[in-house]
Amino acid sequence: MKAVDVSNVSKRYFLRKEVMRSLKSTVLGLLTGKRIREDLWALKDVSFSLEPGETVGVIGANGAGKSTLLGIIAGTITPTSGSVHVEGRMSTLLELGAGFHPDLTGRENVFLNGSILGLSKKYIEERFSDIVHFAGLSEFIDVPVKHYSSGMYVRLGFAVAVEVDPDVLLVDEVLAVGDEEFRKKCMNKMASFQKAGKTILVVSHDLEAVKKICHKVILLGEGSIVDLGDPAKVVEEYVRLGLEQQDNVVKREWGTKEAVISGVTFCNEAGEETSRFTSGQSIVIRIAYKCRRRIDDPIFGFGITDYQGRLCYGSNTIIENVPISHIEGEGEVRLVIDSSPILRGKYYLSFSLHSRDHRTNYHRLDNVHSIWITSDTKREGFIRLVSAWREGR
Amino acid sequence: MPKARIGELIARRELIWNLVLRSLRIRYKGSALGFLWTLLNPLMMMLIYWLFISILRFEVPLSHLLTGVIFWQFVAMCTSDAVRSVSGFPNLVKKAYFPRIILPLSMVIANLINFALSIVVLAVILFLLKLFAQAAVDFSFLWMLPFVMAIQFCLVLGIALLISSANVFFRDIEHIVGVVLQALFFLTPIIYPLSFVRERISGFKSGGVLLSIYLLNPMASLVTLFRKAFLGRELFAGGGFLPPEPAFYISLGLSLVMLFAGVRVFGKLEPYFADHL
Repeated sequence: MKAVDVSNVSKRYFLRKEVMRSLKSTVLGLLTGKRIREDLWALKDVSFSLEPGETVGVIGANGAGKSTLLGIIAGTITPTSGSVHVEGRMSTLLELGAGFHPDLTGRENVFLNGSILGLSKKYIEERFSDIVHFAGLSEFIDVPVKHYSSGMYVRLGFAVAVEVDPDVLLVDEVLAVGDEEFRKKCMNKMASFQKAGKTILVVSHDLEAVKKICHKVILLGEGSIVDLGDPAKVVEEYVRLGLEQQDNVVKREWGTKEAVISGVTFCNEAGEETSRFTSGQSIVIRIAYKCRRRIDDPIFGFGITDYQGRLCYGSNTIIENVPISHIEGEGEVRLVIDSSPILRGKYYLSFSLHSRDHRTNYHRLDNVHSIWITSDTKREGFIRLVSAWREGR
Repeated sequence: MPKARIGELIARRELIWNLVLRSLRIRYKGSALGFLWTLLNPLMMMLIYWLFISILRFEVPLSHLLTGVIFWQFVAMCTSDAVRSVSGFPNLVKKAYFPRIILPLSMVIANLINFALSIVVLAVILFLLKLFAQAAVDFSFLWMLPFVMAIQFCLVLGIALLISSANVFFRDIEHIVGVVLQALFFLTPIIYPLSFVRERISGFKSGGVLLSIYLLNPMASLVTLFRKAFLGRELFAGGGFLPPEPAFYISLGLSLVMLFAGVRVFGKLEPYFADHL
C-alpha cells in the first residue's frame, strides 16, 4: 500500500490579462463567448508515489509547480485532471501561522490555528505550555501577534504545527525560516517525525537540507518531473542545470520596428544549433533582420547579462569599427565570440538595431535569449583569466 | 449535502466554534468597552429611532420600529460580513484544508449570537415601554421566537453561501449586495408595519396580487412573525393569529429553498476557490 499515490496529475490555470480587461471587452467577451485569457499548465501529467515511512523532497526553480503540487495533495487545490490518493491521516505545514489573526493574542491564535490543523481544544490545553516553551515566547503569549517580529510569528506557527500527529506530513519551505538555532530545532523535529515512521513530502530550496534528510528527491521543471531518485544525484543534476538560480533580469522587446531582428540562432563550433556551450568554445550567433524601408547607417549591438541582471559585456558594430552603410529587405549578420572566456552559468543576451546617433531604436530584444555555459575545469568563478603560476621570483 | 460532508462539519465543530469566537473577538478588539458594545449598539440605535419618531412625529409606534430594526440589523450585518467571508481569507483557503463552508457558516453563527444578545436588550426595552408608556407589547406569543429565528437562520445562511462563493469569482458582488440591502430595507416592513402595506394596497384594483408579490419576500414574512412574538395579538387586523395570504407561507418555504440553493452553489464552486484567490 502506497502512503501517497499521485497519478497523472495536471493543473491548468487561466491567466486573465488584467491590462486588456475593460467593461466593454468583458461584455463583448461574454456576448461572443470569447475570453481573453492564456492557459498556463502549472503541472503536466505528474505521477509518483511515496512508500510509508519515506521522506521525499521536491526541488525546482520558482514557478516549477512545487507549491501547486503540494496544494493538490493537501486538497486545497483541485487538479484539472488526474487523481491523488493519501492513505491515513494527513497534516500540512504549508504555511506557518496560516490563519493567525494579527489582532488576537498568541494564546488565542494557538487555539485557533490548532483547530485549523485539526487539533482538539483539550489536546492543545494539555500541550500548551510545551508549545509556548518550544516557540520561546513565554513572556509574549498574551500579546496580540501583530506586535510580534516575523521570527516570533513563524516560531509560534511552527510550534503549533508540529503538534499534529499525522501518518503523512506535507511540508512547504518551512525549513528555511528563522535563525540558526530555530532551524536546528526544526531539523530535529523532522528527524523525530522520521523516526516515528511518518511519510514526509517536503518542498525546499535548501538543497543541503534536502540531501541530508530525504530518501528520494523529485526535480520539477516547468510542471513536469525532470528527474527522480537518489538525493545527491538529483541535486547535482539540478545544480548542473543551473536551475537553482533565481533570475533577476527584465525581458523586454521594443522599438519602432521600421526594421526588426527577425531571428537569432546560436551555433557551436561544429555549426550545430544549441543554447548550451562549453567554456572556451566559440559561440556563433546569427542575427536575421527584416526591414520595412531602407535604413542608412544602422548599428547592430549586443550585450551579455548574468542572471542577476549585471551587464558583463557589451559592444556594437561602430565600436568594433565595422560600419554598415545601409540595410534593405531581409538579411543576416553574424557575431562570433571566439573561445568564450565565460566559465559557467546562465547568461542572457540582448540585441539591438538602432540608428547611428542612438536616437532611434528600430528594434531591441532585451534579455530575451539565454544560453548555458558549463565547464569541466575545477577553476572557480564565472570568467576565465589567462593566468599562470611560477615558482620563486 | 451528502452525509459525509455533514459528518465532516460535525468533526470540525471546534474549528467552527473557534472561528465564531474569532469574529466575535476581533469585532470589538481594541475598544475600551469591548464586548459591551454588543449590547450598547442596539441600545444606541433604538435611541436614535426614538428621537427620530418624537421629532418627526412619524406615525409608526416605537415598538414596531424597534422590533423591525433589530431584525434587520441581523440580516444586514450577516450579509455584509458574509460576502467577504471566503474572499477575505485567501491564506486560509489556499494553505489549510477544511470544508470551506465553515467560513460563511461561522460568520453567520457569530452574528446570530450578537442577534440573540440584542434581542435580550430589545425585550427589556419593550417591557419598559409597556410599563411606562403603555406601549402595545404582549409577550404571549414569545414561544414563536425560536421558530422564526430558525427559519431566519436558514435564509441568511443560504444567502451567505451564495454571495460568499460568488464573490470569489466576481468581486462586483460585494458592491451589489450593499445596494440590494438598501433597497430591501425599504421593500420590507422594517420601519413600517405590514398593516400599512395592506391598507395602502387595498385601494388598487389588483391589490391582492400586489400584496402577494410583496409578501413573496421571505424577509417580509419573517419580520412580521418576529414582531408578532413581541407585540402579540394586536398585530393582525381582525385579531387573527397569522395573515391569510398563501404568499406569506410560500415565502417561508422560500427561505429553505434559499438554503438548499446556497449549499448546492457553494459546493459546486468550492473546488475552484484556491485558483481565484
